[in-house]
Amino acid sequence: MSRRQLLFPLLVKAAWVRKDRALTALLSIVVVATMATVALSVYSDVGAKLNHEFRKFGANVIVTARQSALDADELAYIKAALGSRGEVVPIAYAIAQEPSGSPVVVGGTDLAALKELNSWWSLAPDNNSSSQVLLGVRVAEKLSPKGEDFKVSFGNKTLEIHPGAVFRSGSDDDSRIYLDRQQFSALTGVQPNIAQLRVAGTPEEIEEQVQKLSAALPQVEIKPVLQITAVQAAVLRRTRSIVLAASAVVVLLILLCMVATLTGSVLERRKDFAVMKALGASNGAVNMLFAGEATLISAAGAILGFVAGTVIAWWIGQANFGVGIPARPELLLPVVSGSIIVALIASTAPLKLLRQIQPAGILRGE
Amino acid sequence: MFARLLFESFRRQQRRKVFAVLAITLGMSISTAMISLATDVGDKINQELRTNSANLLITPLEDSLDVNIGGIDLKPASEGAYIHESDLIKIKGIFWGHNILGYAPFLSASQSFKFQDRTFTADLIGTYFSQPLQHEGENFVTGVRKVSGFWKVEGEWPSDNNADALAGRSLAQKLEIHPGDTLQVGGRSLRITGILSTGEAEDEAIVAPLHLVQQVLNRPDAVRRVIVSALTKPEDAFARQNPAAMSPATYERWSCSPYAVSIADQIGKVLPNVRVEQIRQVEQNQGTVLSRISGLMLLLTIASLLASALAVSAVMAATILERRQEVGLMKSLGAGNMTVVSLFLTEAGILALTGGVLGFAAGAVLAHRVGQSVFGSSITVDPVVLPIVLFAALLVAFVGSTGAVRKAMRFDPAVVLRGDA
Repeated sequence: MSRRQLLFPLLVKAAWVRKDRALTALLSIVVVATMATVALSVYSDVGAKLNHEFRKFGANVIVTARQSALDADELAYIKAALGSRGEVVPIAYAIAQEPSGSPVVVGGTDLAALKELNSWWSLAPDNNSSSQVLLGVRVAEKLSPKGEDFKVSFGNKTLEIHPGAVFRSGSDDDSRIYLDRQQFSALTGVQPNIAQLRVAGTPEEIEEQVQKLSAALPQVEIKPVLQITAVQAAVLRRTRSIVLAASAVVVLLILLCMVATLTGSVLERRKDFAVMKALGASNGAVNMLFAGEATLISAAGAILGFVAGTVIAWWIGQANFGVGIPARPELLLPVVSGSIIVALIASTAPLKLLRQIQPAGILRGE
Repeated sequence: MFARLLFESFRRQQRRKVFAVLAITLGMSISTAMISLATDVGDKINQELRTNSANLLITPLEDSLDVNIGGIDLKPASEGAYIHESDLIKIKGIFWGHNILGYAPFLSASQSFKFQDRTFTADLIGTYFSQPLQHEGENFVTGVRKVSGFWKVEGEWPSDNNADALAGRSLAQKLEIHPGDTLQVGGRSLRITGILSTGEAEDEAIVAPLHLVQQVLNRPDAVRRVIVSALTKPEDAFARQNPAAMSPATYERWSCSPYAVSIADQIGKVLPNVRVEQIRQVEQNQGTVLSRISGLMLLLTIASLLASALAVSAVMAATILERRQEVGLMKSLGAGNMTVVSLFLTEAGILALTGGVLGFAAGAVLAHRVGQSVFGSSITVDPVVLPIVLFAALLVAFVGSTGAVRKAMRFDPAVVLRGDA
């Protein structure tokens, strides 16, 4: 049997005879590879997951007509440009008179879409889905404190309003009345002059979309709602950095822990080392044996760890965001090669130390 | 005898002991750092949110409605009620005063401006930029720079006690106003120090210090609207109950929770004739985002705690398995199982406590560093983490050792000593 042929059975035998030693080394590598996979998967996906959460904040871009109204072509263009990555809710505003003659802002739109976009509004009663009118809380307190009907007039037309649902928003909307489109155009004839957009994506993608739309539609003003996009950008930036920092700390420390385990276990094998040397093995052959064992164990451990880490990352996404974090096959190579390199360094570096001692000395137990 | 065995074991096997302590230290510093980060990350992100956007809105209780479309205020300036600026400081005096990170008052009216040889009409908005104030001997600084982090200024921020102002971006573009230019309004000249973009009404307006605007409009001490940034706890079912229908004890408990609604209720009690509303778009939605981030950190923490526990037990098991000859020797000299086990467990305990204390210290330093670099403020490491970490270290070390000691004792001493096992 040539030396080359001897190497593999030797490696397997070495691992098999000292199963617990091989197992502890394997375990420590699996743990490192698992944590590295979890950390990298979570880090690369946390942005997308959080951006999705920010959909609930509602409109993040406002489109305003510079002249009178948004025409149907402009709205259609915006809808087509956003496609499935956003929603458009056009709203027509007009200033009507309430019974005492004071002005009140009335908006006409698709009420279901408006409610969906502003999902944070507190509605009372909250299950009134068929209502034709949404009253801002300040309007309701002033004009219909007990839910009674009242009239608003625009020019020479008058509309009797039967209050349905009352909402609180903590914004200017609290002083407005929203009607469905037909009622509104029957009262005022005004066309939509504002559109609220919800654009999906990162703050940069939203900004890019705003610029593209602005360039294509010079007749309208398109602005991101900075308060919302700024919050989103800040939260994303901080979260990504904290996940990165925490992962770096964990992976680095656990890696050190693995290095300590492997180095310690090689140092415990000083007798093996001495016997090999006494039987005439060259430094290269001994290195080869130890390195081969480390490679074998770390490759197996890293692959196991990658699988475990992918499963754990998927589960973390599922448990926290309701959507699993997808597997990232491109991480396999860096995780496996990283583990092998560190394992090689950790198990061959102590051999240098052992080489300084005479084999006879080690065998005598010095 | 037992103590001597123990002492000699540490003296003669320093290398092994160093590796074991090192592993435990590393594992426990991971635990300390991750627990501290996970418990603090919610607060830190909450603070970040609050400097970027306010979450409460105070308006005067009045009859007339706001008439505002697309950010342009169409309500006549003469109409409506005002809030007294001098009352606002009371906001800091409520029970949750320390949770009030800042507030910014606003007063605005449409004015006619003179710029070079032209005149134009635009809103003049007065506010605090970075106004120093005093409450019960305590100094604090408040204004839009504290609560509206999304306001971006090209040029310099004005100071609150000069006749300096910002020009909104759209307005400045239209009229070619640049930093350094001077405008006239109501007999005062305003020096423009910067161009402001907010994406809201301010883009079409001139924003000046509140006191100057009060003088121009001849409305001393008046403000129309105040935004407040308060650290709050996400709303739950208890928060949504109607405070008017609560028993005094329940109301007490409700007030003592920093919900947006209870802080709003307390502000309403100290300021006469105001309405305090949550800015629901921010306040209602941030709770989910915060809980998602905290949840993510919690899960990552659990994963890393398990990982470090596994890694530490592996090291403990390995160091004992390497000592099976020692076990064989002790047993052949007549030591009972109990003696062997208690010796190894005592060693493990000492290693665990040393590693635990070292790990706690190292983890605290790490958490502090991470907090500084990510949030610019340090992460507080709760002292209660120390006993938890020590307990975890002991548990992991014992679990790792027990299995290995039992395994080492199963071998026949004679076989082990011959070196055949």
